[in-house]
Amino acid sequence: MKKRVTSLDILLLAVIIGVLSALSYHLVSKLNYHWNWSVIPNYIYRYDQVTGHIKAGQLTQGLLVTLRLSVWSILFALIIGTVMGILRVSPRPLFRMISSTYVGLIRNIPPLVLIFIFYFFLGDQLMSLTGITDLSYSMEDKDFPLLTFLFGPIEQLPAFLSGVLTMSLFEGAYITEIVRAGIEAVPNEQWEASKALGFNRPKQLIHIVLPQAFSQSLPTLAGQFISTIKDSSIVSVISIQELTFAGQELMSATYRTFEIWSVVIILYFLLTFPCSIGVRALEKRMNRHKQD
Amino acid sequence: MTLWRTVNVGLAAVIMIMGISTAVWAGNVRQSLAQESAIETIQKKQILRVGFSTFKPWAMKDKNGEFIGFEIDVARRLAKDMGVKVRFIPTKWDGIIPALLTGKFDIIIGGMGITPKRNLKVNFSDPYEFTGMSIIASKSAASGKTSLKDFNTDSTKVSVRLGTTAEKAAKNFLPNAKILKFSDEAASIQELLNGKVDCLIASNPLPANLAQKYPEKLYLPLKDDFTKEPIGFAVRKGDPDFLNYLNNWIKVTNSEGWLESRFNYWFNTKEWESQVE
Repeated sequence: MKKRVTSLDILLLAVIIGVLSALSYHLVSKLNYHWNWSVIPNYIYRYDQVTGHIKAGQLTQGLLVTLRLSVWSILFALIIGTVMGILRVSPRPLFRMISSTYVGLIRNIPPLVLIFIFYFFLGDQLMSLTGITDLSYSMEDKDFPLLTFLFGPIEQLPAFLSGVLTMSLFEGAYITEIVRAGIEAVPNEQWEASKALGFNRPKQLIHIVLPQAFSQSLPTLAGQFISTIKDSSIVSVISIQELTFAGQELMSATYRTFEIWSVVIILYFLLTFPCSIGVRALEKRMNRHKQD
Repeated sequence: MTLWRTVNVGLAAVIMIMGISTAVWAGNVRQSLAQESAIETIQKKQILRVGFSTFKPWAMKDKNGEFIGFEIDVARRLAKDMGVKVRFIPTKWDGIIPALLTGKFDIIIGGMGITPKRNLKVNFSDPYEFTGMSIIASKSAASGKTSLKDFNTDSTKVSVRLGTTAEKAAKNFLPNAKILKFSDEAASIQELLNGKVDCLIASNPLPANLAQKYPEKLYLPLKDDFTKEPIGFAVRKGDPDFLNYLNNWIKVTNSEGWLESRFNYWFNTKEWESQVE
């Protein structure tokens, strides 16, 4: 099939460009707002006069927290989701009940409410019970560079961990369903054939069913990872200093609303767009054997 | 008779035992109250955890990512006088009281106005500073008005920040006007600049700063603030020791003139402006 630019395409393109330029003209001229982009680079990176190094600006620091939060949440959500997904298809009713209660509970509570409940009640109790709160008082950032690299500033550690916990439980419920769908999509013959070969149930799962289930649900899982990155902005309500929080703090200090929101949007895009490309490449690769 | 005496002696013994045990118990209460005071935990952990919300020029981040502002100075001095380190915990204004109550930090030093409603949930120290509400008006939407009476009409739209004392002041002083509430200051300012609302009520120095920044669009209808609100430290309830310490700290720093000089630096000068933008 030949690709051809038709007159309709040109018309549509003209309309889109026209609307966009009218909008931006309106934004720049009609809006009573003194645009000042010169302050923005300072929030991305800054030159530290004391040490003479270039350091991360406030928005970059927020971006790093978002990144750490997402990576850890995805990791734990994957573990929780896999375990719960396996329980979901277990022959034992008790296991199935545990898993479906978890999924039903988490998915039917608005995320905002869930986050508040966790942060103010459960998360806090857990952090003081495990001694992490006390630990965070006694440690200094510079003594534990690895810890700071993995989890961010130590003084924010309790808040960060309860944020990760909430996010993992929340995203884990969705991953549970993805894993369950993946397992159920594996044909019954696979179970039977492996049983005939003398595998018991755990071995059937590990060697035969789960590899197939995962390779089938990888694109969906990857999609879930992208939404985890975006969902992480919601923990700004419990004052975890990720990108959205950093942006809002800057806005209340400088009143540079439009510039800062624009930069925040771009930064989120920079984080998620490569993931989208990755997912597409993954899907292409996985569908290759189907075309042959 | 012997039975009667036995009962009497027995009763006396019971009353005595109860009295003594109450006294002992009362002593324990006093002791445990002192031990559970935030002062003790602060001394033990060697850290004063301060909750606040970004609010210019009370507390904000400078270009290097360090916190600066009037409240930051106050918190640093307080921690220094207690002989401990200070840790700043920036928190959203809507959730700042629950965060204090659940122990995320020991004290709110964030320009919090003392109100009876807030006082039901937290304990306030004596006021260490006063702040006033002021009006800033749009030249295009409402020009030539010079008194609160001029703004108190059905057709006037006032914007305020949600949950602040400005909201209350607007209700009390402009009962006839229509009040629009915004969750952040930047949005309410934008409405004013666009001429969608007639005026904005906020605590100084924001109105004064805005009038300076946009002289062709905005003006200050009133010369002076129309309210005077007390600002206090907020701590958890049931901690008389900490409150006593804070009240006396305020008396001492006030008598030195330190609080006033810091307040003047942040509210009446522009020397720090270059540190932020």
